[in-house]
Amino acid sequence: MEVIQFNKKIYNLEAVKKAIGEFKNLANFTVKDFNGNIEVKIDKIDQDFKDVLKDEFSNYVLGLMS
Amino acid sequence: MKKDKDFNFKINGGKSLGFTINTKIYSLASIYQAAYLFLDRAYVYLDGDPEKEIKVVMKLKGPSFAKATEGRGQELERIAGEFYNELLNQLLREKVSETNAKIREYIVAQALYNAVPNEVDELLKEVEEEDWQEDPLGIAKTWEETQSKKDKKQKTKNK
Repeated sequence: MEVIQFNKKIYNLEAVKKAIGEFKNLANFTVKDFNGNIEVKIDKIDQDFKDVLKDEFSNYVLGLMS
Repeated sequence: MKKDKDFNFKINGGKSLGFTINTKIYSLASIYQAAYLFLDRAYVYLDGDPEKEIKVVMKLKGPSFAKATEGRGQELERIAGEFYNELLNQLLREKVSETNAKIREYIVAQALYNAVPNEVDELLKEVEEEDWQEDPLGIAKTWEETQSKKDKKQKTKNK
């Protein structure tokens, strides 16, 4: 399982949810508010993408912020 | 960990690059824009307080072979320099955009105005195209002319 913490002052929940919508076929995502951050847990990751999914997902969220 | 005293960035074992950005100089919007341009080459993570400073961590994309560590370290250094340059570029774009906002709005408004047909102009054009010598309603006739015609009609009726 991978965990990503997005700082709420920099990333917004809308972007995270939109990204989850795009990546939902590659893994299971859960989102919660944790300590001033948006915490995303990723599990059941598609084997073909297990090495890059976390980083690509984070990049995608950042891309939505621009 | 390699630290560069001039640019204030750190390279961690040739794997990732970390640096901070002063948000009193560079806006969060310009940081987003600059970071966006590197998403194809690196994984970019942002953290920190937008009112003070933003911490940036970048990891190169691609396979991480042990032999390539030195090469990746150099690549990361290069990216750090490019990122700072891009920040300046985005900051300038922001400033220029602010300066030209009113002119830009004016130009767009003018373009939209000219694209939409002006009803008053069209009405004037219609009026100009009409032949003023035609008088379908008989408005141009004098009262005497109109009255004498009526009298004639009356006389023929009485007969």
